[in-house]
Amino acid sequence: MQVTFKDVTLSYDGKRDILKHLNFVIQEGSLVCLLGPSGGGKSTTLMLISGLLAPTHGQIYFGDTDVTKEDALGRKVGMVFQNYALYPHLTVQKNIEFPLKMAGLSRADRAKKAHELAALVHVDDQLDKKPGELSGGQQQRVAIARALAKEPSILLLDEPLSNLDARLRIEMREEIRRIQRETGVTTVFVTHDQDEAMHISDQIMVLHDGHIQQFSTPKTLYASPDNLFVAQFIGEPVINSVPASALSHDLAGVVSDDILSRAQTAGIRPEALTLPQRALDPLTTLHGKVIEFDQFGRESTAKLDYNDLQLISTEMGQLPHNTQELDFTLEKKGFFLFDADGKRIFGGDDHAE
Amino acid sequence: MLNEKPTVKSTIKGWLYLLPMLVITITFNIYPIIKSFLMSFYTKYDFYNDIVSAYGFSNFTYLWNDPDFHLAVRNTLVFVIGVVPLNIIISLAIALLLNKIKFLAGAFRTIYFLPFVTSTVAIAQVWNWIYHSDYGLLNYLLGLVGVNPINWLNDPKWAMPALIIMSIWKGLGFNIVLFLVGLNNINTRYYQAAEIDGANAWRQFTNVTLPLLSPITFLVTVNGVIGSFKVFDEIFALFQGSSGPSKSALTIVYYLYEKFYTEWKYGIAAASGVVLFFLILFVTLIQLWYSRKHVHY
Repeated sequence: MQVTFKDVTLSYDGKRDILKHLNFVIQEGSLVCLLGPSGGGKSTTLMLISGLLAPTHGQIYFGDTDVTKEDALGRKVGMVFQNYALYPHLTVQKNIEFPLKMAGLSRADRAKKAHELAALVHVDDQLDKKPGELSGGQQQRVAIARALAKEPSILLLDEPLSNLDARLRIEMREEIRRIQRETGVTTVFVTHDQDEAMHISDQIMVLHDGHIQQFSTPKTLYASPDNLFVAQFIGEPVINSVPASALSHDLAGVVSDDILSRAQTAGIRPEALTLPQRALDPLTTLHGKVIEFDQFGRESTAKLDYNDLQLISTEMGQLPHNTQELDFTLEKKGFFLFDADGKRIFGGDDHAE
Repeated sequence: MLNEKPTVKSTIKGWLYLLPMLVITITFNIYPIIKSFLMSFYTKYDFYNDIVSAYGFSNFTYLWNDPDFHLAVRNTLVFVIGVVPLNIIISLAIALLLNKIKFLAGAFRTIYFLPFVTSTVAIAQVWNWIYHSDYGLLNYLLGLVGVNPINWLNDPKWAMPALIIMSIWKGLGFNIVLFLVGLNNINTRYYQAAEIDGANAWRQFTNVTLPLLSPITFLVTVNGVIGSFKVFDEIFALFQGSSGPSKSALTIVYYLYEKFYTEWKYGIAAASGVVLFFLILFVTLIQLWYSRKHVHY
């Protein structure tokens, strides 16, 4: 089901708006991540889609139908909670059957459906156990099966992986992707982990301060962040952000004077600083000192000093030992300039203009 | 040190820590229990000189044949069955309501808790007035709906209901507080999940609240059953030192009290205590067995 928000505002206390005039469309059959720091409004947005919360202003549409006034049941959403919220006193099978029981299905139909779903999420050998006897990953699978049981119009997942350990998290995010592809259900996924969002989603909505900062594909989000917040939020290690004025000497002639004069902050992805011999699409060459160089497995980070500013690069693996000073290349890809409001004015997709 | 091996010295030290509580428990709990078990077998006892000249089962045969004791057991069971279920239902209902309101919730909690911390004698005095056949508040209220005055405290038919009503009221506060704790411990996520799964308010109550509250309900039930089996001071205070009109509120503990303090039949008193002990043990074991299946921790 396609989800449309029209000018949705939400305030809990009537004074402070948690979400401010939200407008977006989630395409049918896609997997969308709501990404952002804590308190940014992502869980609130999910609650609004679910119908557990009603917006203060604005309309919500499922397809062409206005569901603003409908509750969770009327909207037919399925939801997976952070702590799974499996009923501890019911067996796995009874948990999966619960929405069907509430819908008044016969015992035989319920059991049949529960077995199908358990097979889909690979817990068919755990049906008689209580949730307390399952591992976190298995509980997660059961919670997804329960949410899918009533064939929801939309599947909502509220930070579903944050209670799992690192390895299981990667496994489960692949599983969620697989289950979503197999069922084709429109899925909205809340997370504060950008890595998770980048790997799993068709589209990512970055929420901060009650506003949508950017809503695009993971690739676009990384390659052309709309603003400084998105640039800093996405990417590991974090993008180097330095005052644009520090670079103005080296950028003169490369970037138009008009843009340079408006630029406030420069963002440089750690991989956009390379050694000259390895440069692909150089913008300009900078000169600096090496402060520190560390190698971690196949990754390396170099801390460089440029005009008394610290820059981090991940592309200095070939750096000769004991290098004190060097010339290094600033690549076009991964270099952005932002104006005083944080808006991107140089770099990314429209840098050709 | 976490990996310290027990030595003689450390063991003695451990016992020393336990000693103060151990002395109190042994003196006031363990010793009296053993003593009363023994005493229930005294058939010839010179209590002036503390000399037992004969042991036997005659105290128990006396109880077996004593119509007063039969009445006491019957009354006690009526009291337990009258008080415990109603007390649990009412206190759960009030706890659910208190849990819903935010305004003055603390004040209401305090008000409901007051009877629990107030002296039974004071409570009984107030209820004596409420139950008064001519000037009582209860008869006045019943009169408003056209019910003829009831002689609560002097009519053998009504003495037990009067006692049960007062005891339910007195026990509410403590159980409400326990239920409130239990309700607060239920994660709101379960209710959200149930709502999304299509459960209405009643089905959320039966499918989420009741099963997740079962450990507290179990605790309250066991506690209430044991407490009700031992009822005494409410009777003593409400009926001014008697067991009610024509012994209509004679319970096992009251029977024990009369045998011990007014008739000085120590052996019989102890024997009735032993019977009460096994009665409570039996009922508690049944509850434990039931809880294995129906209480979800």
